[in-house]
Amino acid sequence: MSKLILCVFLTFTLIPLLCTSFSSDTPSDRRVLVLLDDFALKSSHSLYFNSLHSRGFDLEFKLADDPKIALQRYGQYLYDALILLCPTIERFGGSIDAAAILDFVDSGHDLIVAADSNASDLIREIATESGVDFDEDPAALVVDHSGYAVSASEGDHTLIASDDLIKSDVILGSKKIEASALLIYILIALCAAPVLFQGIGHSLNPSNSLVLKVLSASPSAYSANPKSKLASPPSLTGSTISLVSVIQARNNARILISGSLSLFSNRFFRSSVQKAGSPIKHDKSGNEQFLTEVSKWVFHERGHLKAVNVQHHKIGEADEPAMYRINDDLEYSVEIYEWSGTAWEPYVADDVQVQFYMMSPYVLKTLSTDGKGRYFTSFKVPDVYGVFQFKVEYHKLGYSTLSLSKQIPVRPFRHNEYERFIPAAYPYYGAAFSMMAGFFIFTAVHLYNK
Amino acid sequence: MAKISVPHFLLLLLSFSICIAAKIYQPISDSHRSLASDLFTSTDPSYPSLEAAYEALRVFEVLGIEKKTHVSTTSCPKVLENLGSSSPLKDLYYALKVNGILKCKVDAKVLKGVASRLKATVKDASTLLDIYYSIGSLVLIKNQDSNVDVLLADADGTFHSIKALSQSDGRWRYSSDNPKSSTYAAGLALEALAGVISLASSEIDQSKVNTVKNDISKLFDTIEKYDDGTFYFDEKFVDGHEHQGTLSTTSSVVRGVTAFAAAIAGKINVCGLISIPLILSLPETVYSLTKKDQLKVRVTTALGSTAPPLTVKLVRAFSTGAKDSAIIESKIVLLDSDSKKDYATGGQIHVPIYVTGIIEVSNAEIAILDSDLGSVETRKTLDLAGNDVVSLSANHLQKLRFSFQLTTPHGHVFKPHQAFLKLRHETEVEHIFVVGNTNKKFEIVLVKISIPLILSLPETVYSLTKKDQLKVRVTTALGSTAPPLTVKLVRAFSTGAKDSAIIESKELQYDQKSGLHVLDIFPKNVDVGAYVFVFEIVLLDSDSKKDYATGGQIHVPIYVTGIIEVSNAEIAILDSDLGSVETRKTLDLAGNDVVSLSANHLQKLRFSFQLTTPHGHVFKPHQAFLKLRHETEVEHIFVVGNTNKKFEIVLVKPTLIAFELGVIEDFLGLVEKLFYLSGKYDIELTVGDAVMENSFLRLLGHVELDFPEAPEKASRPPPPAVDPYSRYGPKAEIAHIFRVPEKRPPQNLSLVFLGLILLPFVGFLIGLLRLGVNLKNFPSSTVPATFAILFQLGIGAVLLLYVLFWLKLDLFTTLKTLGFLGAFLLFVGHSTLSHLASTSAKLKSA
Repeated sequence: MSKLILCVFLTFTLIPLLCTSFSSDTPSDRRVLVLLDDFALKSSHSLYFNSLHSRGFDLEFKLADDPKIALQRYGQYLYDALILLCPTIERFGGSIDAAAILDFVDSGHDLIVAADSNASDLIREIATESGVDFDEDPAALVVDHSGYAVSASEGDHTLIASDDLIKSDVILGSKKIEASALLIYILIALCAAPVLFQGIGHSLNPSNSLVLKVLSASPSAYSANPKSKLASPPSLTGSTISLVSVIQARNNARILISGSLSLFSNRFFRSSVQKAGSPIKHDKSGNEQFLTEVSKWVFHERGHLKAVNVQHHKIGEADEPAMYRINDDLEYSVEIYEWSGTAWEPYVADDVQVQFYMMSPYVLKTLSTDGKGRYFTSFKVPDVYGVFQFKVEYHKLGYSTLSLSKQIPVRPFRHNEYERFIPAAYPYYGAAFSMMAGFFIFTAVHLYNK
Repeated sequence: MAKISVPHFLLLLLSFSICIAAKIYQPISDSHRSLASDLFTSTDPSYPSLEAAYEALRVFEVLGIEKKTHVSTTSCPKVLENLGSSSPLKDLYYALKVNGILKCKVDAKVLKGVASRLKATVKDASTLLDIYYSIGSLVLIKNQDSNVDVLLADADGTFHSIKALSQSDGRWRYSSDNPKSSTYAAGLALEALAGVISLASSEIDQSKVNTVKNDISKLFDTIEKYDDGTFYFDEKFVDGHEHQGTLSTTSSVVRGVTAFAAAIAGKINVCGLISIPLILSLPETVYSLTKKDQLKVRVTTALGSTAPPLTVKLVRAFSTGAKDSAIIESKIVLLDSDSKKDYATGGQIHVPIYVTGIIEVSNAEIAILDSDLGSVETRKTLDLAGNDVVSLSANHLQKLRFSFQLTTPHGHVFKPHQAFLKLRHETEVEHIFVVGNTNKKFEIVLVKISIPLILSLPETVYSLTKKDQLKVRVTTALGSTAPPLTVKLVRAFSTGAKDSAIIESKELQYDQKSGLHVLDIFPKNVDVGAYVFVFEIVLLDSDSKKDYATGGQIHVPIYVTGIIEVSNAEIAILDSDLGSVETRKTLDLAGNDVVSLSANHLQKLRFSFQLTTPHGHVFKPHQAFLKLRHETEVEHIFVVGNTNKKFEIVLVKPTLIAFELGVIEDFLGLVEKLFYLSGKYDIELTVGDAVMENSFLRLLGHVELDFPEAPEKASRPPPPAVDPYSRYGPKAEIAHIFRVPEKRPPQNLSLVFLGLILLPFVGFLIGLLRLGVNLKNFPSSTVPATFAILFQLGIGAVLLLYVLFWLKLDLFTTLKTLGFLGAFLLFVGHSTLSHLASTSAKLKSA
């Protein structure tokens, strides 16, 4: 009896534990491991950690060379996401290495990496594997003599105020503009505070379609050692330099790579910023909003889609048939929802497309929506028979990829499904029947004529 | 994130300010204060725990932020609630701490109840944390309300139970069943012990106190040092508790040791050991018995604030001549216990006797000591008869100890009248120490903890165009004003040339209004560039010299910026073989004019311009890029070189005829780098430098380049980067094209043809009528007539069956029915036909 009670007790205490783990029902991350070079970062970057904490993340801080750190136990990952704020680490403690971190991402978990000047080879390797190449010169910093942040104490123009952000509401969040007047709108747009950055730049591989520049440098920027003369052209110049990049892998794991550790710091969060050549002095830099919004995206609080309730049937019917005949008219519908961080909300867009696919798409149609998450269309089955698929391959900047396919065979007409009486054949019918009638009359005449 | 302990936070602010301007310490300013109030209030105004509330309040107190009223409204009820109920010890402890700052109205009765409860817990408490919190709470009660009886009856027992947890290496355990020892716990234990001593109703056994002192000295053996000379305690103990960083561990130990030292100060002799946590400093850095100086001792805490009430005793002093007989025995100077500073007077005066002779110098040794601990950092022995020289380094937190022994010919120790040690800086600033007489060896205490003065510059970027003033602010680390002083600009040099100083020895003017030291006339010969300015603080008041540390010469990197004049910009197309100019265009780089050029691969492009500083010197910017960009985003960047005062690049080249091999390779490379892409190229010029105020990025114009056809082996241009916005757009719709049904004649035409088809049948019927057909041959007798009718009906039925087959029947039904009908027809047909045959035969025979 006591055993039974114990079992019941255990079940009830374990249920909440199990529920908090990552699941497809609630795609946001919950458990986050933060690896640091130094525990002082915990305090000097506390505003960022506080903002994560207040959004319900369970942060676990560890030194990067702590011998006890582990990402998984008994084949189960202990964390949903990993934050690496340890640019100088040469070797992680415990069993973690670059391959383990990439496996972590390959299994659908999220990653934030901050590099900095004199970033270690380990951090560079992780970045390279993610499709981001940091400047190979260890002493190089991003310098911008036209877009620097005006500062009384820094004269070497490595503190950059960048406002060249990706234009994507889903990654950076839509700024809540309540005033409807156009003038106020313009004022607010002018006042969007630039993001302070001090660190190293990276470039993206142009053939890699998964990685996106979120914060890029201005055309006058370059990446070089500010203390030495330039002998050869710098390897990175202009707006090809990416300061902060995000990657969404094919399994929807998300990675944020930043070339600056101080981007996350309380100092940059709270310092005022004035871009060189601009008369406006902002009381607060854009770092806090930028990082809060980007980390919302990275941790799947936004831009995560799910498709449910895929249905198709002939027009006028309700049930899904086992097979279509060529030239049937059919209706296809699917429901798509977006995760808002707390609940699934209807996703509204006008570019969701369905393909009727066999080796290549035979029909590709944009779905119409009712604004409540339901997408539908109707079309005629092509007059080619074979095994087809309904495919929805939805890619959109910043959103997770939707990939649905449903197989359905299509058959030709049966022999008795063709048209029965063809007007063009009336002469033939007439010939046959008149011949038969003539035959009948002829027999009678031939036999009984005298 | 609420776990930022207070000293932790302060040190953090300091390290934080170090980051702001490398190596220039900035005092705590309003921005730090607003950050602190942000950090401690932004999350939750009603602090989640009293510990967090205490930390916030303490930080506000230290930084002088007025937020108390705001916090007290939310925290005071919590304090009262915690004190009233039987809350955990930790909450009780922090409730009392918060109360200490906020002065909530707590009933004395409540405190009394709490005190009696705490005393009870002290007795049975087994773990260190329990004892620590309860003793700490009792001490707090004692400080807040002197009427409450908090004295411990069994202080010795409590002392013993804490001491039982100590380890042989000076660390402490958290509880008796946990064998691991912790440095952090040692700090807690020492604080608790200090509390026990102050709460003891009877005096604690002196031998016990001495063993604790031994523990402390052992604990300090484990101290570690960073590269920059900062000491810290490291926590080796890692357990289920939250890991304590080095900052919190060190602060715990320092708090514990200072508390312990403060507690025993009134009852035992303070010897060197006790000076560890409390900084015992001598304002008179040099004292000499021969000069009849008073021996002055100042006792402060590490942060420079005043020490708790204490007395300093000089136990004994020995004559160097008479080692064993004490000249002074236990001379005690007791001052009023409330007074902040106690002084101990010096002892008897020794008059030197001059006995000449050859004095043997031996045991010369020079050492750098840590001023707090007295532990030796560097020790070097010297042969004073020889010429050997030592090199040492120390900071202001350390001591220099130099010792040597002088022996008279009789073998006695000799005290010379003149024993000077001179420290001289490169700038001839020097200081002479009279080597005093301590403990058989001469020891001088060089630098003691004094209030560090921080020299900071509101702006390290100086603009020649704005004619700013160079301003320097001198404050203490916490931002309060400094004593009267002057700031001297020792020298300034360009970062490129360290040896040639451009400014030497200037004094800055003090501006009373702003509290800044200003260099009002900026030297004329300073051009744009990066410089290092070396400042020195000279204290005016001799008293303040003792109290403040200036940090010697301070190197500050300064950028002097200005507007660079761009002139003589010219772009030309040259013939590469002859060097003759084909096209030459002058450009106004300040304007917006754009040039259009055309060239082929046998030509050169020459672009030149001149940059001049406001002082008329040639200026070489860090960033001078010329970029050629093709429409297809293929681009190549040239770093504009520096030849002959003009920047020139030679870029497009001959492939076939060339005189120099090196040139061929270079330019072939260039054509390849541009992937043999002919067409229009944009020319973009970027000029920028840290000291250039008018850095620019500008489109110069276009050049139409005509390159030869790409050879087969030439590499392809890289694929252009995909625009992320268009990468995932919706695809074009695809509609299936259905097979077109075969073309059919109009229905009317079919009907016409149907009519035509039926015409022969009609003609047949008419023909029959015309022929006058009859049915006279039809059998007349009943039986043959029946058969004939049946036969005709049978034929009709077969035809009808065919019609039905066409309309609806399938082949099986049709054949089956046809079988029956066929048999029937065979029979009736045979009968009918044989009847007809016999009839016709009869007719013929007749």
